[in-house]
Amino acid sequence: MRFARYALSAAALGVGINGTTAVAQELIVNSYGGPYEEIIYERIIKPFQEQSGIKVIYDAVGSSSQDYAKIKATKGSPGFDVVVMTASQSLDGCKDGILEKLTVENVPNLAFLDPDVSAMASECGAVHEVQYMSLLYRTDHIKQAPDSWEFLFSEELDDKIVLPTFENIMAVYLMEVFSTMNGGSLLEIDPGFEKMVELAPRAIAFEQSSAVLDKYVREGQAWAMPYWSGRAQLMKDDGVPVDYIIPKEGTIPLLATLNVPIGAQNKEAALEFVNFFLEKTSQEAWMDGYKVGSIRSDVEVSDEIRAKQITSKEDIQKLLLPDPSTIAERLPQWGDKWQREVIPAAK
Amino acid sequence: MRLGGTMPSLRGYVPLIPPVTILMMFFALPMGMMIGLSFQDGDTGSFSLTSYERFFTDDLALDGFFRTIVMSGLVAVCVTVMSYPIAYFLARSTSRWRAVVFALAIAPELAGVVLRTYGWLIILEDQGFVNDLVIQLGLIDRPLPLSHNMFGVVVGLTHVLLPFGILSLLTNIQGIDPNLEKSAQILGASRLSVLRHIILPLSVPGIVSSLLIAFTLAASAYATPALLGGIKFSVLATMIYQQVLFYINWPYAAVMANVLLVIVLAIAFTGARLESRLNSKLHVR
Repeated sequence: MRFARYALSAAALGVGINGTTAVAQELIVNSYGGPYEEIIYERIIKPFQEQSGIKVIYDAVGSSSQDYAKIKATKGSPGFDVVVMTASQSLDGCKDGILEKLTVENVPNLAFLDPDVSAMASECGAVHEVQYMSLLYRTDHIKQAPDSWEFLFSEELDDKIVLPTFENIMAVYLMEVFSTMNGGSLLEIDPGFEKMVELAPRAIAFEQSSAVLDKYVREGQAWAMPYWSGRAQLMKDDGVPVDYIIPKEGTIPLLATLNVPIGAQNKEAALEFVNFFLEKTSQEAWMDGYKVGSIRSDVEVSDEIRAKQITSKEDIQKLLLPDPSTIAERLPQWGDKWQREVIPAAK
Repeated sequence: MRLGGTMPSLRGYVPLIPPVTILMMFFALPMGMMIGLSFQDGDTGSFSLTSYERFFTDDLALDGFFRTIVMSGLVAVCVTVMSYPIAYFLARSTSRWRAVVFALAIAPELAGVVLRTYGWLIILEDQGFVNDLVIQLGLIDRPLPLSHNMFGVVVGLTHVLLPFGILSLLTNIQGIDPNLEKSAQILGASRLSVLRHIILPLSVPGIVSSLLIAFTLAASAYATPALLGGIKFSVLATMIYQQVLFYINWPYAAVMANVLLVIVLAIAFTGARLESRLNSKLHVR
C-alpha cells in the first residue's frame, strides 16, 4: 500500500516534470515599434512560433542606441534575448564582450550570408537586412529624376531639403559620400564636411529621427532628402508622390543585425530565432514585407524588389563600404567638428 | 542612567531605517557610482581627470553649461510671475469658478511632457498655428522664429512647470492671515498698496520656493529642450543624452551630470537658506 502510494507520487512527480518541460518556452525579442512591429510579427514571429512552439514576447521599447546602452549598463543581461541593432553596435558589443558570438555551429544559416558584408558586423551580429542611403525626392515637384547627390545643392531645392542630425548615422554616411565626390575618401572626410557646411543653410531643418524626417517629405515641406531605401519604399507604397534612387556616385548601406546579449536567459531559443530569421524563406518574406534587401544571395524575390533593393552579389559590390570600426573610432572627433562647423552654418 | 537616557532617542531613529536604506540603495549608491565614473578613463577605466579637463576647457561644453543656467533662470522667473496671480486667486477667491481654475492650473500635469511639447511644436513651428494665423492676417510676410530657439524652449518649459509654481505659491499665500489685508484696507490702503506692502513681502518665501523648484526642474529637463530647441540649442541634459547613447562616453556624461548636480544643489542650498532667513524675519515681526 505504501509502495503503491510512493509509486503514485513518483508518477505524479514525473507528470509534473514532464508538464513543466511541456510548457511553451518564451523568448523576448526587442526591436522597433510602429509598422515595423506589425510586419515582423506577421512575416517572422508568427511563422517562428508555429514552427518552434516557442512563444515570442515582443518588446518595442527603445531605439537601437538605447538598447545598446541598456545592454552595456547591465553587462549583457538587459532582460531581452534577441535585439535588432546596427552593425556598428554589434561591433562595439563584441569588443566589449557583452554580446554572444554567433558562429556557423550555433547559427547554421550564417554560412549563406555574404562574408565581406557579414564581417562588417563582427562575429556578434547576424546581418538580417540591408538598406541603403537613397536620394528620395517628390515626383510632384521635381519633374526630371535626379541622378547625382549634387542634386541636393541645386537652387530649386533651397529651403526644400531636410537633413539628418549627426546622431543619425545617415549624416556621417552623407559626408563620406560627399567626400569621395570631392577628392577625399570614406574615412578622410574633410571635403565632406566642407560640402555639408555649404548644404546646411539650404536645409529647412535637421532632424535626428528618421520618422520625423519622413514627416517633412510626406507633408511637402521638403522635396528631397537622403533616406533609407526601405522606409522610402514604404512611403512610396503609402501613395506619397515620391521616388528614390542610388545616385551615380554610389551609396553606403545600413546593415541591421540580430544580436544575442551574453547574459540572455533564453539563449538557445534566441539562437534558434536568429537562425530562423536567416532562413531563405524568412529572408524572402522579410524583404517582401519590409521592402529591404538581403545579403543572402540565393533569395528569390520579385523583379520590383530586385530593381530597388540590394539582393545580389553584384548589388553588394557596387556599394561603398567604410570600415565601421574606424567610423566608431573617429565619431567623437567628427561630432566635435560637426558642432563647430556644420551647426553654425545651419539656419 | 546615561544608557537609559540615550536609548529612547536611538529608538526614535528606528522608523528612519527603511527610508534611509532605500535612499542609500537607490539614490546615494548610484550617485556615488556616477561620481566615481566621472574620474575614470573611458578606455582603460583607470583614474583620470581627463573628462573634467575636457569639460572645463571646451567652449562648446561651457556654452551648453551657461545656456542651461540662462534657460533655467528665465523659466523660473516666467513660471513664478505667471503662477503668482493664479495662486493668489485660488488662495483668496470664494468664487464657484475656483475649482475650475484649480483644475485648469493642474491640468498640464495630466498629459505627458512629450505630448505637451509636441503640442507647442504644432503651435509655434514655422508652419504652425501662430505663424499661419499672423501671416494670413497679413501682419507679417515670413514666419516669426518661435520654435527651435530659446524662446520656444522657455515657453514649453514654463507651461510644463507652471503647476509646480502655482502649488508652492498657493501654500504660502494661504498661510498669510487675510485679516492683515482687511485691516490695511480699513485703514485706507488701496488694493495695490496692500499687495505691494503686505502680500508681496509676506509671500517672498513662496516666491523663492517657486523660483527654486522651477529652476531645478528646468535645468534637468530633457524632452522639451530636445524637441523645441532645435539643432543649435544644446543644454547639459541634451549633451548628457548624446554622450550616453551616441558616443557611449559615460565618464564624460558623468562629468556633465555632476556639474548639473552641483548647479542644482548650489541653487537649492542658497534658496533654502534665503527662504529660512526670510521666514525667521517674518516670524520675528
